[in-house]
Amino acid sequence: MPRSAYVLTGTALGLLGIAFFRTTPVTLSPPPSVTTTSSSSTSTTSPRTPPTTVPGTPPTVPPTIPPTTVPPTTVPAGPRSATGQLTDYSWGTLSVKVTLAGGRITSVTVPSLNDYGNGRSQYIDDYSIPILEQEALRAQSANIASVSGASYTSAGFIQSLQEALSALGR
Amino acid sequence: MIDTHLHARIEVMGTTITVDGYATQPIDARWWDQRMASVAADLQWVDETFSTWKADSAVSKWRRSEESLDELPHDLATVFQRCQELKALSGGWFDPWACPDGFDPSGFVKGWAAERALLILRDGPLVGAIVNAAGDVALFGELPAGEKFRVGIVDPFDRGQLVRVVVVAHALATSGEGERGQHLVNPFTGVYEASMASASVAGPDLGIADALATALAVGGEEVLVLINDIPEYEAFMIGFNGRHWATADFPFATL
Repeated sequence: MPRSAYVLTGTALGLLGIAFFRTTPVTLSPPPSVTTTSSSSTSTTSPRTPPTTVPGTPPTVPPTIPPTTVPPTTVPAGPRSATGQLTDYSWGTLSVKVTLAGGRITSVTVPSLNDYGNGRSQYIDDYSIPILEQEALRAQSANIASVSGASYTSAGFIQSLQEALSALGR
Repeated sequence: MIDTHLHARIEVMGTTITVDGYATQPIDARWWDQRMASVAADLQWVDETFSTWKADSAVSKWRRSEESLDELPHDLATVFQRCQELKALSGGWFDPWACPDGFDPSGFVKGWAAERALLILRDGPLVGAIVNAAGDVALFGELPAGEKFRVGIVDPFDRGQLVRVVVVAHALATSGEGERGQHLVNPFTGVYEASMASASVAGPDLGIADALATALAVGGEEVLVLINDIPEYEAFMIGFNGRHWATADFPFATL
């Protein structure tokens, strides 16, 4: 898919210079359950995402087959996802999983992350996501019911936007 | 269709609070007006009791130690108690006792007041309602069409833009500073300093989310890690360097 290729390239580029952190002990919660096929383009698996527990593996694929061996032709229509190659970053390595549905990005997750014990927390720095999701953000912004911001940013903006939304019947 | 969505704007507590009610049928205007009057009266009472700007508020009297806690309104003791709990929950980063001018529960009270307002709207024809207290959002239900409410987070570096959109089930509070030191106090140094340009917390209660967002804006990464371990609360923050961080399950909207 040209689009996913573009997305993954953007992800890899966006993630190169940014910081990811992990705590010890590892308490990473399971990756968000994605109701899609997982088709991985890297042979490196993360201890946190063993192939047998990849969420959304289609019922036609036996769960013992790792995602790396799933041929692309078995990927059903509809939402689909792909995992980028394991990439070096400042504190270790990571790979990024992107899910597309209807030609749009619906999620960007980091199923594989190894900081060699340097990390400090389990959260992700999703610096790259706003770039990836510009299009999604625009579409979503037309669909909001309210606005949240620190009082210094928001006093005027929030109220006027809130009222514009109200006037539009949102 | 416009009367299935009513909007009110209440000027109180030195700011603007907006209320939006949504229903599948036209909303009875008298019912709405009565509820808005109750909301305004309650917010007014909260302001008169908890304002640190009003010299005759219960909090101001407490600060001057003119009255002991049992002479003060019962709700002050409640807020006092909640603030103590939230100080512990936030690892000391939310600390109304650390303000240089004396006890200041504002970081909790605004969200708490919005939750009180929301309560007044619950038993009625609405399928959903939103109370927006100067950028802190408490809501219940959903849009009449059954969609969940989406709330935009303001870009701290461009207040005319949104930086992310969030699916909010109950509450979303955002704190932060345009510059490092304006009104947020670091309780461990006593200095006015924030470490985040924007700090948002989503969860089931806006009072708690508000206090945690205040803590997150001051404490940054340390508080993000802490919130990660608090059930049902998620955090998202933007540093002065423009970087974004989020806990694993922060409810960012997807299409």
